[in-house]
Amino acid sequence: MSKRTSFFALSLVALMLMSMIVLSSVSIFAQDATPVPTATPIVADIGSGGTHISFWNGLTGSDGVTLNEMLAQFAAENPDISVTVEMIAWATLYQKLQTAFVAGTQPDVFLLHASEVPQYASYGVLRDLGDQYTSGGGWLPDDDLSSTTMSGMMWDGVIYGIPLDNHGRGLWINTAMFDAAGISTDPSTVPTTYEGWVDLFQRLTLDVNGNNAQSPDFDPENVVQWGFTVGEWPNVNFMAALAQNGGSFLSEDGTTITVNSEAGIAALQQLVDLVYTYHVSPPAAGFDTWQGFGAGMVAILPTGTWYRNQSLLQTDIPSMAWPNFQFGAQPATWFGAHTFMIPATTEGAQLDAVQRMIQWVSENQVTWASSGQVPARLSAQAALDPEVYPSNILLGGTFSAYGIQDPQTTVTQELLTLLDVGLQEALNGIKPADQALNDAAVLMQEALDRQ
Amino acid sequence: MAEISGSTLNKPKRSLLPFPISLKTREIIAAYLFLTPFLIFFAIFFVRATLSSFEISFYDWRLLRPNRPFVGFDNYIDLFNDPIWWDSVKNTIYFTVLTVFGTTSVGLLAAIAVTRPIRGQGFFRILFYIPQLMSVGAMGLIWNWLLSTQFGVINYLLSFIGIRPINWLGDPNLVIPALSLSTIWWTFGFPMLIFVAGLQGIPEHLYEAARIDGANPRQLFFNITLPLLRPTILFVTVTGVISHFQVFGQPYIITGGGGPGRASWTVIIYLYQQAWVAFRMGYGAAVAISIALIMAVLTGIQFLVISRRVEY
Repeated sequence: MSKRTSFFALSLVALMLMSMIVLSSVSIFAQDATPVPTATPIVADIGSGGTHISFWNGLTGSDGVTLNEMLAQFAAENPDISVTVEMIAWATLYQKLQTAFVAGTQPDVFLLHASEVPQYASYGVLRDLGDQYTSGGGWLPDDDLSSTTMSGMMWDGVIYGIPLDNHGRGLWINTAMFDAAGISTDPSTVPTTYEGWVDLFQRLTLDVNGNNAQSPDFDPENVVQWGFTVGEWPNVNFMAALAQNGGSFLSEDGTTITVNSEAGIAALQQLVDLVYTYHVSPPAAGFDTWQGFGAGMVAILPTGTWYRNQSLLQTDIPSMAWPNFQFGAQPATWFGAHTFMIPATTEGAQLDAVQRMIQWVSENQVTWASSGQVPARLSAQAALDPEVYPSNILLGGTFSAYGIQDPQTTVTQELLTLLDVGLQEALNGIKPADQALNDAAVLMQEALDRQ
Repeated sequence: MAEISGSTLNKPKRSLLPFPISLKTREIIAAYLFLTPFLIFFAIFFVRATLSSFEISFYDWRLLRPNRPFVGFDNYIDLFNDPIWWDSVKNTIYFTVLTVFGTTSVGLLAAIAVTRPIRGQGFFRILFYIPQLMSVGAMGLIWNWLLSTQFGVINYLLSFIGIRPINWLGDPNLVIPALSLSTIWWTFGFPMLIFVAGLQGIPEHLYEAARIDGANPRQLFFNITLPLLRPTILFVTVTGVISHFQVFGQPYIITGGGGPGRASWTVIIYLYQQAWVAFRMGYGAAVAISIALIMAVLTGIQFLVISRRVEY
C-alpha cells in the first residue's frame, strides 16, 4: 500500500471515528430540543442556623428542586436550623445508606420509599415515630392519611415513617393523536376491559402508510406511531394487571410468592400479547418510552405522577393524564410513598430540628404537589387547585380508590429485581410468560425464605 | 559558599549503626525502606481486604443484620449450583473472547498503519487513542444512542442499504456482540500503543535481509513481524483478558442492567446483584473469590499456551 493510500485509508477511519461521536451527540441534542429544567445540585447547603442537620434523599429530578425550595422557605422561617441536603440516585442511596449505618456516618434524616420501611426497621436502625402522630400525642392526625398509606409506614405494629407523598402510576396521552383518530380524551370514557384497551391501542397504532393496527393492510414491521409501550418499569405495570386479574404478589400469610398464579400468568400474557400478537407496543428493550412520547411516536405512555413537569416542558406535545389501564375485572394501580425516616442515633438538638423540618414540610404538602406527586395528607389533596394540579387530583383519586403498594417484606428490593428480570424475559420474547414467571418465582421464593 | 576539602571527600562515611554492615546489605535495606510506604498501603488495603473477603465468604453475612452465622462452604456450594452464575460465566467468556480478539486485531492493524511514515502520523495515533480516555459512563451513553432502535445512527446508516432497524440491545443473540463492538471501539487504543512500541523494537535489518531474499509483504508480516511480536501479544492478551473479564460498566449502562433479561449479565453484574442489591455480602465474597480463581486459571493457561512460543 502506498503512503498516499495509507493516508487516505487512515483519514477515512478517523473520519468514521469522529463521525460516530459527533452524530451520536447530534442525535442526543436533537432529542433534547425541548427546554430542560434547572439542574438539581447534588449537595445543597440550605440556611445558616447553628443547629445543623444532614438529609439524604433520592430526588434527583425536578422534584428535588421543589423540595429544596421548600426547605429554603423552612430555613428562612427557622433561622436557628441549617440543612445539608444530599440527592443521590435511588439505587445508590440504598447502598450508601447501608454502608453509612455500618460506618456510623448515617444522616440525621433520610427519605426512602415506604417499601423500605420493613428492611431498615428489621435491622433496628430506625427511630419509632409513633409519638409524631396524634394517636401517640404528636402533631400528625392519623386520619389525615389513607389506610393504605398508613399501613406502609408500619412494621411489626410500630410506626417508623412519615409520608411525604403518594406517587404512582397512570397514563399520559397525546391528545392530538386521540383527536386525529376521533377518540374522546375524556378520562371518564376509558375502557374497562382488556379487549376495550386493545381496541383503543390498535386505533392509535399506525404504520408508515397510515394504516392503523385494525386495518388488514397494517404493516407491523414499519410502525411509526405506537398505541402503547410496555417498557417503562414493567414491575408496576405487571403488579397492576396482576391485581386487576384477581391475583396477588404474596400469599395472605406473606410466606409464599404467588406472582406465578393463574392470574399472574394471564396478566403477563396480556402485556406480552400487546407486543407480539396485537403489535401495539414495541418490545421492552431498546425503546426509550419517554423519548418516544416526546418525539411523537407514542400515543399512550404508561408512567407516573412524576411525569407532570416533563409533560409541561414538552410544549409541542399536547398531553394530559388518564387513569391507569384496566385489563381485568377490577381496577388497580400501583403507588408508593416517599417516606421520612429518622435513624435511631439521631438525638438532642438534631432530633428536634429534624422533627420540626418534617412537620413543616408535611404541613406545606400542597406546595409539594408542584413536583407532580400527590400529597400524602388527605387535607392537602383536598386543597389542590384543579386548574393547576389536574393530574395530581385525577391520579391521587385512583390511588385512594384502588391503589396497591409494594409487598411488605424485608427483601422487597431483591424480590422486585428478580421479578423485573422475569418480566423482561417475557416482554422481549426470550421466554414464554409462564416459564418466565415460574423461573422468577423460584428465585423470589428463595430470597423470601432467606429473609 | 563553604568549600569542600579533599580530605572531607576522601573520609569514609560514618555508619549510624554500631556494627559493620556491607554495601549490599545497605542497598537492600534502602530498597525496602523505599518500598515500605507502598507495602503498608498494599497490606492494609489489598492483603487485609482480600483475607477479609475470604473470611466473609464463609458466613451468611448481611451488612446491617447483627447475627452472621458461620455457614462453611455453603456459599460456594450454592454458587456452583446456581445456573444463573454459570450463564454469567458463559456470557463473560463470550464477551472476553470477542473483545480481546477484536482489540488485539484492531490494535495491531492500527499500530501497523500508524507506524508507517505517513503525513499526520502523530495526529492519527492521538485520535485512535482518544476513545480510551472516555469514562465508561460517557462511552456507554454514546453507544446506547448509537445502538438505539428509535434514533440510533447505526440503524439509520444501515437503512440506506435496505436493512430494517435491528434491536441490538433487545435481542439476546446480538447484545453481547454489540457490547463487544462498543468496547473494541473504546479500548483498542491501548493495545495499539503497546504494539507501536513492539513494532519499533523489531530490527529493520531483518526486513531488509528478507526483502533481499525476495520476501513479499505478507511473508514479512507472518515470518518476521508476528513471531517477534509474540511477547507483546502475550502482554496485550493477558492484560486484555484480566481487564475485559471484569466488564461491568458497558452492560450495566448500555443495556440498563445486563438485559434483556439476563442476556448480558456478566460475573461482575452477578456479583453486584448479590452483594449490592440483595446485600448478601457473604455470598458476594464467595463470588468474588471464585472470579479471582477463574481469572488466575485463565491467565495461567494463556502463559502456558502463548509463552511456549515466545521469542524474546
